Amino acid sequence: MTNRVSRRRFMTGTGAAVGGLVIAPGILAACGGSDSSSGGSSAADVYFDNWTLYIDKPGDKLYGKGGTLDEFQKSSGKKIKYVEGYNDNNEYFAKVQPLLSAGKPIAPNLIAPTFWMAGRYITLGWAEKLPLSKVPNAKNLLTTLQKPPSDPTGEYTLPWQSGMAGIAYNQKVTGRPITKVDDLWDPAFKGKIGMLTEMRDTIGLIAMAQGIDLDKPTYDKFVPAFDKLQEEVDKGQIRAFTGNDYVEGLEQGNFAACIGWSGDVVQLSKSNPDIKFVIPESGGTLWFDTMLVPKGAQNTDSVAEWMNYVYDPVNAARITATVQYISPVQGVQDELKKMGGEAAALADSQLLFPDATTLANLQSWGNLDEAEEQKFDERFAEISGA
Amino acid sequence: MAADDDTKGLRKGRFAPYGLLSPGVIWLLLFFLVPVAILFKASLSTKPSRFATPTFDWAWGNYSSAFSQYGSVFVRSFVYAGTATVLAILIGYPLAYWIATRGGRWKNLLIGLVVVPFFTSYLIRTIAWSSILADENPLVTTLQQVFGSDFRILATPWAVIGGLTYNFMSFMILPIYVSLEKIDFRLTEAAADLGSTTWGAFRKVVLPLSLPGVFAGSLLVFIPAAGDYLNARYLGSPKTSMIGTVVQNKFLVQFDYPQAAALSIVLMVIITAMVLVYSKFLGTEGLAV
Repeated sequence: MTNRVSRRRFMTGTGAAVGGLVIAPGILAACGGSDSSSGGSSAADVYFDNWTLYIDKPGDKLYGKGGTLDEFQKSSGKKIKYVEGYNDNNEYFAKVQPLLSAGKPIAPNLIAPTFWMAGRYITLGWAEKLPLSKVPNAKNLLTTLQKPPSDPTGEYTLPWQSGMAGIAYNQKVTGRPITKVDDLWDPAFKGKIGMLTEMRDTIGLIAMAQGIDLDKPTYDKFVPAFDKLQEEVDKGQIRAFTGNDYVEGLEQGNFAACIGWSGDVVQLSKSNPDIKFVIPESGGTLWFDTMLVPKGAQNTDSVAEWMNYVYDPVNAARITATVQYISPVQGVQDELKKMGGEAAALADSQLLFPDATTLANLQSWGNLDEAEEQKFDERFAEISGA
Repeated sequence: MAADDDTKGLRKGRFAPYGLLSPGVIWLLLFFLVPVAILFKASLSTKPSRFATPTFDWAWGNYSSAFSQYGSVFVRSFVYAGTATVLAILIGYPLAYWIATRGGRWKNLLIGLVVVPFFTSYLIRTIAWSSILADENPLVTTLQQVFGSDFRILATPWAVIGGLTYNFMSFMILPIYVSLEKIDFRLTEAAADLGSTTWGAFRKVVLPLSLPGVFAGSLLVFIPAAGDYLNARYLGSPKTSMIGTVVQNKFLVQFDYPQAAALSIVLMVIITAMVLVYSKFLGTEGLAV
């Protein structure tokens, strides 16, 4: 989940199309986080460092008014500084590690690590407990996202947005529907299969196809999945390991099929109906990004107020209408219908509101301890040529 | 009295060069020597656990594993960078020669055009190539008619080498152009008067005089190309990764700073050795173009 904002939205958002060039958003975003603070220069009560294009902004087409940030400031009287500086889980961790490991606070008091990275912060003791009593709206959360394995007591993190990893494919190139992971190993697609650099999604999907569960992962259990991946790389079946830029690969026919994220494909398939997203028969992964208060941060009560605000279904729907991932909040579907137009159309999407059957076919990764995670990362780097 | 003043002035003058040197020396010290020392120290450290701070303990094992595990990646990096350098000479030399000798009043404009790609970000130029060379692109589909439907350019070593050559080409053309520009071409006329053929005059007069430019250009292309990882990342496959890819992953994904530092030091040492050998053959006299 290097950066899971679809390119299309990136393009429309910034008008950055350079002579038909296709640009991976994660990279451009990496050139500098934009500071969208709406408060003045004085210290903010909430300082949220989040992924790019992960919230609605004033003037967004689907929501014409002030946008969530302004509305929150108006209704609460708190100042929020919202920065899109969270580009990559590992890079961000590398950035804050020196301060947090020395017991010093970092500037933001709210950050957005993906669940497994949140688990790492919690294990290392780098997360503050949340004042949950001040977030009554947390009762609106989807039950699947309450007390996840990455935060078994549910005291440290609350979800921001959620999504699925499955198989994305270009039917024009495959010439047939893809339904399972084994379809990716069809010799007809030699050199045209893409994998994600996000280890958990790539290995997760392959492991599930082999009947390996993701809830209590150990390296030994996953060796067959790594071996399978190695075999396919050696055979030349796999063309590349990519981040978000797999969408270009799919569009340009470099990839017949690849592992991909639901939110991107929702966007992509609108303009290119040949591009499809499927949760393989053996299952897909369910991921979510969290809201986490780093150790030593101040103003946790204001953070709680913000969390409570975004868990109100009306406010959550406004965010979903823009970011188009799975909202962690129940009742968003009804609110979207009330909004009408394009937003209402989103309410019917299986990729935003997966039904019980789809959900039953999704798995989330359990926590990997430090030593195990190292083995996973090392083997994965070796296979992907890094 | 007057003689006294003179010696004083001389004495003062003796320190002036050091004063003039000091900004450069301080800069090199702070931003080159100190970081290299820190890197070297890190390369001899070990980490008690994954997220702990490395402790220094003369861990030479980091170096032996750099060779044993990543030897083939090093070789691949140098082969790609070397091929890219040779290609850049083969393409860049004739171009620089033509501009220097036939450019006339368009010289400056033509050299300006060589630099124009730099106005676009390196990254975007690389990603643009991945669009141009995409499998469904007319260029590739046409070639597929000739070489069979499995033919592709992206995700092959040639795509990576091509990307490296393209991205660093200007660094080859400019120094060669400068050294050719300086040559007094009446020398070739003199050579002709003495019975030399055009080719002979080029080989015996122009080429040797322009070698410093070729040398400088080769360094400017080879060194960054050997450590590059973007071309391998966007134009290559898992089988064409370069040492830069490994270092990036070790630093930012695996947090294995000691191993990453050891790999970086090895890369630096090998490149320095190669440069020294290369300069023995081509000579560095007159390098100050």
